[in-house]
Amino acid sequence: MSDLLLENQNARKLIKTLGLPIPVPERLARAKGPYEERRLDDKTVLVCGTGALSAVLAEILTKAGANPWVVGESDAVLEPYNGPGEAWARTPRRIEPGDAPEGERIDAIVFDGTGLQSPDDLRQLYDYIHPWIRRLNRSGRVVIIGRPASDAKKPARAATRAGLEGFARSLAKEIGANGSIANSVFVEDGAEGRLGPVLRFLLSPRSAFISCQPFHVTNRAKGDEAPDTHVLGGKVALVTGAARGIGEATAELLAAEGAHVVCLDRPADDAPCSKVAQRIGGSALLVDITDDDAPERIAGELEERFGGVDIVVHNAGVTRDKTLGRMKPDAWDMAVDINLGAVIRITDRLLEKDVLRPGGRIVCLSSVSGIAGNRGQTNYSASKAGIVGFVKALSAKLAKKGITVNAIAPGFIETRLTSAMPVAIREGARRLSAVGQGGKPEDVGQAITFLSTPGAVGLTGETVRVCGGALVGA
Amino acid sequence: MAKKKSNWGKKQRAVIVTGVRTPFVKAFGKFLKLDSIDLADLAVRALLERTDLPHEEIDSIVWGGVILPALAPNIAREVALDLRLPASVEGMTCTRACASGLQAVTLAAAAIERGEADVVIAGGSDSTSNAPLNLPQKAVHALAPLAFGKAATPADYLGVLSQMMPITEILPKMPKIAERTTGEVMGESAESMARRNEITREAQDHFAERSHHRAAEAIASGRFDDEVTPVEASGGWVYADNIVRGDTTFEKLSKLRPVFSKDGTVTAGNASALTDGAAAVLLMSEDKARSLGYKPLAALRSWAYVGVDPADQLLIGPALAVPKALDRAGMELKDMSFVDMHEAFAAQVLSVTKALASKGFAEVRLGRSKAVGEIDEDNFNVHGGSLAIGHPFGATGARMITTMANELASSGKETALLGICAAGGLGAAAVLEAVH
Repeated sequence: MSDLLLENQNARKLIKTLGLPIPVPERLARAKGPYEERRLDDKTVLVCGTGALSAVLAEILTKAGANPWVVGESDAVLEPYNGPGEAWARTPRRIEPGDAPEGERIDAIVFDGTGLQSPDDLRQLYDYIHPWIRRLNRSGRVVIIGRPASDAKKPARAATRAGLEGFARSLAKEIGANGSIANSVFVEDGAEGRLGPVLRFLLSPRSAFISCQPFHVTNRAKGDEAPDTHVLGGKVALVTGAARGIGEATAELLAAEGAHVVCLDRPADDAPCSKVAQRIGGSALLVDITDDDAPERIAGELEERFGGVDIVVHNAGVTRDKTLGRMKPDAWDMAVDINLGAVIRITDRLLEKDVLRPGGRIVCLSSVSGIAGNRGQTNYSASKAGIVGFVKALSAKLAKKGITVNAIAPGFIETRLTSAMPVAIREGARRLSAVGQGGKPEDVGQAITFLSTPGAVGLTGETVRVCGGALVGA
Repeated sequence: MAKKKSNWGKKQRAVIVTGVRTPFVKAFGKFLKLDSIDLADLAVRALLERTDLPHEEIDSIVWGGVILPALAPNIAREVALDLRLPASVEGMTCTRACASGLQAVTLAAAAIERGEADVVIAGGSDSTSNAPLNLPQKAVHALAPLAFGKAATPADYLGVLSQMMPITEILPKMPKIAERTTGEVMGESAESMARRNEITREAQDHFAERSHHRAAEAIASGRFDDEVTPVEASGGWVYADNIVRGDTTFEKLSKLRPVFSKDGTVTAGNASALTDGAAAVLLMSEDKARSLGYKPLAALRSWAYVGVDPADQLLIGPALAVPKALDRAGMELKDMSFVDMHEAFAAQVLSVTKALASKGFAEVRLGRSKAVGEIDEDNFNVHGGSLAIGHPFGATGARMITTMANELASSGKETALLGICAAGGLGAAAVLEAVH
């Protein structure tokens, strides 16, 4: 069932005219087509804070086509912006600290908190962002950047750094009704060069349904420079469960970036799976991933036909919901085996035989229920929380080879699965997110696609929720 | 006729012998009845008459055009046939938006340098007045089967008629100069470049005034007599360019209203006008030129074509093409005796010169520590540019080549730099050197 409050113009108007106390969710701006060279074209980005990243931010933002407004007391703050500004004809503008000038609006706020030392410094969040937060346009973006708390030597400094994450999460709930999102990014010392793609993604419409999330940019995985457009040219990608829903959306997006996508699904889904493969110029691979010989067959096919694989998206999954007391053992086995067992077996095989090439990307599907828990989903949650542990452990092992391993945890996404939910629960689930609506399969696909790009090399071992800032979950 | 000796594979220098163009005339005016091929005929005929070139010496014609005649897009070949040149004079027509004329010249030079040909006429023409009005695909798909198919029955006509609703979907589409990928009209691109590069209305109007004054002076002094041929159009003889306004002033220009946005800066006065015209250039291998008794004017030392993101600064291309061409020539901007930049819009020229002078631009976009350089006003578009002279898309490159080649020959100076921006985010540049 489609979302009445979002899709039905008349219902939206009626509620607004009658002044009913029903919050009407904002339609989220989404990206069309493949990665653009100037992803932030003409977006006004307010840059504030007192960190060490100004030169990095100047380059990232101007090159991406944004108009940087830099908060500071003197023109010295514009210094790093002038060169790139001339190169890309994006002249920086200086903004006086304090009240926002009358009538001015912005599309995004980037707060550089890498210089914060003590809890008192957290006041900067208030000082810089308070005057502007109500000037944020619809589908706006807030990104709070800091250093990882775990790297701090002094507990007080760790506390300060950790504080940024809580701020971003709460701010996200405030601005969600406007279709806006807020996230935090923690950049390891020396990994600044890897911030660009992450920041461009979070400031672009491609991150429409990602809110309240912390990202950790590190130097752990090896990797070279990353292209800005046609980011997956020449890559081979495997997507399991590609016949429909999130898998289908992901396959399409990966193909749009230039990847050759091998669409895997059960033999019973031959027709829809082949259709997807044909539409995107990929290949179909019909395998039941729970079969004993599935890992061998998949590895063999990829090796033989493509000489290996660069991107593996473990998307296939099932739910077999029952409270534990009523659950049959089959239901347990099936959910855990498909969602977790098969993922591990296939990955292991691809690694053993070196089918996954150096610089590869593994993205596994976890779930918000796996993180937050959900009644009737003990089996499912066990498997999906297992994924979180799996990517963490595996990422450490594969960093040397430049392979990143991450998980995506979707919240409420409008798919076949969720349209079968009882109306009241579905309606509730939609409105529990900060943006007051469910996500689309393409939102998850965008996140998976981003983690599959060479530019996302700074992110590994992460579990990224695509949940619109859902109330539940960590 | 004796069989020509083949120079295939022989390295030889290509030189510019001469160039001539029709007057450039405001679209929907005196050249209304002359299409792109007619205009090309006029320019090439004048070139042949002025040089007394034996027709059998010509190897080929390379022509540039943007709005190509739909029924005979290979203008070059049509010119050869119209002018009764020997059947052996082959022809090809190229298109690279507003750089098409320069493209034709560099193709000709490349063919000569490769030993493929010894004598090539290159040039370009465009007639905005004769831009075809296209029927929407819906109407084409409905009508074409009748035109190309078997004899149609009344029932077939009825069937076609029934597809022709609503009427708005089958009306011809107005042609406009808009980017296919972004839908942006070029004036809007210029407007956004003015805003991005902070080019003021005043600066644009001053630049336009200067262009008109310089062009008017060149015409009045007879400087263009060698390179412009009077032509006979249906309404009588046309002797000179008719867009240029020698009496315009900054004050007059600043009274014009912006065209593309209410609070914009781009006006009819600081943008190039839709123009009809043609320009032709005669290129030869140096040996051939000398053996036929011609004194070459100049040679192409290098050239470069680049592409930039059309969704960003559509017309900034020359800022990247210029350093590339200079590098290939092994020279620097300050070595150039003259710089001639196509003036699509004053805002675009000033954006390009600003980028060339910017250290930030050089560092980030060219990976070099120093700016490409400032252009000396005195040597820059010395006889005005497209704002005043007009801009028949395909002809402009050949016009600039001719003017600069003559300038080098008459001044005794050494080098000239050309820069052209083009739709699609293209940029072009070339370095000319004197031939002694």
